[in-house]
Amino acid sequence: MSNFQELIGSFPKTREYVRDFFVYGFKSRDEFKDKSPRTYDNERRRLECWLAPYVRKDYAANGSNISLAIDSNLLDVNPLFQVWKTKSFTDYDITLHFLILDLLQNGEALTADEITCRLLSAYDTLFDTQTVRRKCNAYVKAGLLEKQKSGKAVGYFLDNTLAHWLKLHKDVYDALAFYQIAECFGIVGNVLTDQLDFCNGSFRVKHSFCVHTLEDEILLDLLEAMNRKSSVQLTIKGTRGGNTVTTACIPLQIFVSTRSGRRFLCGYMSGSRRFSCFRLDSIKTVTLLEKSDRFDEYREQLDRNRSHIWGVSFQGSEGQHLERLTMTVQVNEPYDHYIVERLMREGRGGIVTRIKPDVYQYETTVFDCNEMLPWVRTFIGRILSLECTAKSVERRFYQDLSIMYHMYEIGG
Amino acid sequence: MEIFSEIYNCYYQVLRHLLCTKAPATLEEMRSQVCQEGFLESMLSIIPKLESGSWNLLRKDGNLYLSKLTSDFTVPISALERSYLKALLNDARIGLFLTPSQTASLGSMLAETPPLWKPEQFYYYDRFADGDPYQDENYRRIFRTLLGAQKNRQYVNIDYTSPQGKRVHHYYVPARLEYSVKNDKFRLLALEGRHPQKMKLAILNISRMQNVTATDQTLDAAVDLNQIIRDSYEKEPLRLHITNKRNALERAMLHFANYEKNTKKVDENNYECLIYYNKTMETELLIEVLSFGPMLKVVGNDSFLADLKTRLLKQQTLQMVSSSTPHITETS
Repeated sequence: MSNFQELIGSFPKTREYVRDFFVYGFKSRDEFKDKSPRTYDNERRRLECWLAPYVRKDYAANGSNISLAIDSNLLDVNPLFQVWKTKSFTDYDITLHFLILDLLQNGEALTADEITCRLLSAYDTLFDTQTVRRKCNAYVKAGLLEKQKSGKAVGYFLDNTLAHWLKLHKDVYDALAFYQIAECFGIVGNVLTDQLDFCNGSFRVKHSFCVHTLEDEILLDLLEAMNRKSSVQLTIKGTRGGNTVTTACIPLQIFVSTRSGRRFLCGYMSGSRRFSCFRLDSIKTVTLLEKSDRFDEYREQLDRNRSHIWGVSFQGSEGQHLERLTMTVQVNEPYDHYIVERLMREGRGGIVTRIKPDVYQYETTVFDCNEMLPWVRTFIGRILSLECTAKSVERRFYQDLSIMYHMYEIGG
Repeated sequence: MEIFSEIYNCYYQVLRHLLCTKAPATLEEMRSQVCQEGFLESMLSIIPKLESGSWNLLRKDGNLYLSKLTSDFTVPISALERSYLKALLNDARIGLFLTPSQTASLGSMLAETPPLWKPEQFYYYDRFADGDPYQDENYRRIFRTLLGAQKNRQYVNIDYTSPQGKRVHHYYVPARLEYSVKNDKFRLLALEGRHPQKMKLAILNISRMQNVTATDQTLDAAVDLNQIIRDSYEKEPLRLHITNKRNALERAMLHFANYEKNTKKVDENNYECLIYYNKTMETELLIEVLSFGPMLKVVGNDSFLADLKTRLLKQQTLQMVSSSTPHITETS
């Protein structure tokens, strides 16, 4: 391991490793069958370097296991943001970063030749103009520098108005401290707090799912496609079988589950003329294709369908266009009124009716009632009846209950 | 725009701190700083580069190293960061932090910048429908008072309406403002008591607060909130057995990812998962476990298992007396 480096050049491979470590947290060396032992050792050592305070080692019969012990109740920052801060660079990159930005702090515009000369005279460092120009152009693209033409000469300058404004306004620090842990693209908020030398010490997030930050670059590409109203080609790796497939769609919206943190792309599939959802953590690459003239039309169609979407499915298992589910629950009035509140708050537009004292009915019509079962089960202990036009859903509910009675030795 | 870029690299951040220190530093001092701020083995990469001059950013004077930077160095805001800030201006909660004039100033500086995302590009399909009133002026005032007091470890007098509808006054020190993505609500993690060693944790919904006033009294010493939370966890964690059918393992691992957990493989297809929780989380955790149906089996602790069985027994009794018995007949 003499050539071991903490930093990496490419994110996708590491994304998979970190996700596996985070999600499973128990795989030993031998269980990473697809990878060479050397690769496994290096990835594991890197992970231990980046996330040292959160790495837990356990010793099992089949060897030592490492896992990530992350309790989101105790976090001020998402530890997995560290993974984004590991891009490798050259000696030139880091030297030019600090010296060019230092040189241009006063807002003066300088050409690549002038910058090269001043790097030598003021900092005693020698670079060729071409290298300096390339770095300046890269920084213009990244938004760190601006470019202005004067005749044939191209000048580079730095406008730090926004950075200085942010530094002066402490209220912004609080906003960033909150959003970096609570909103999408928290990593960007986090690097801003780094730049302002500020750490979150005021906010926590109750339902925080750290691992999904690893999908943020995929999300960025999908939003870019939506902004351009472009179709995309997706490479998708199945989470069960591990098979890789490609598919094309018009990306319309990102669906998010607040209960699991999972994010999905909802897109329109022109071939099958259907809406479909893809988990972001299964999407490996996004390639932008041609612009779609019908983006707005499909997006409106999606909005019209929204009241019938329970989760991410647009079709039930029995081929019906819409399925109706009716659940009757017992509520000990007035003490258990919170159950009625739950039905209204969590029922996604379903109708809640008091049908007699202590009995309420919840009714909704959606594309796929099968998706509702996890939520329905949270009312176990109060359900008087469950009826569904998709009989397989009804059967599954009662069959699962029977299995649970048996599993926990309830009744006779 | 790239997120995975060297300009956000941890080493750049460490170097900025080293280089912006105007005082000369010894190699040992630099080592110490790199160890504090870098990754576990960063020192092995950074220090040789600085010592050898491969990163030509320091001047050596005897045993001391001096930064070559001459300005009051400020890192400019990248296009990605600008775009992120612009997106925040569209968020309903931004008014909790920024005044209208600050929002307007930031907005005008970002006039030409497209937002990184727009609210309508996301759909939170299982978010609860009764989120907090972020536009309400009294809510905003309370939020800011709590935030200010939290930073100064100040006691606040909170006038609160309990879930049972009772109006109560009490003194607390705000410890954190906790946001729930699922509920779209803020809660206050508050410390109750006089002595830093004997503080108790209370959790209060901010939307239930009628009024909050900061007092002149402060808590003398910092309190280790995480230790208080850890101490509140049940001695025996929730113990689940998972059989890996219908992708149950991955689903459970992701679903319970927000809890501290420890998972072990028992045999080829069976796993045991320990989840650490406290009384305030218990009901929510119980209904989350129930939502998985027979895919998960609770084997401990005794109290959690008893609660689960009570619910199942009630359910079985309801089924027997309700008119829906045909369903039972159908499946039994």
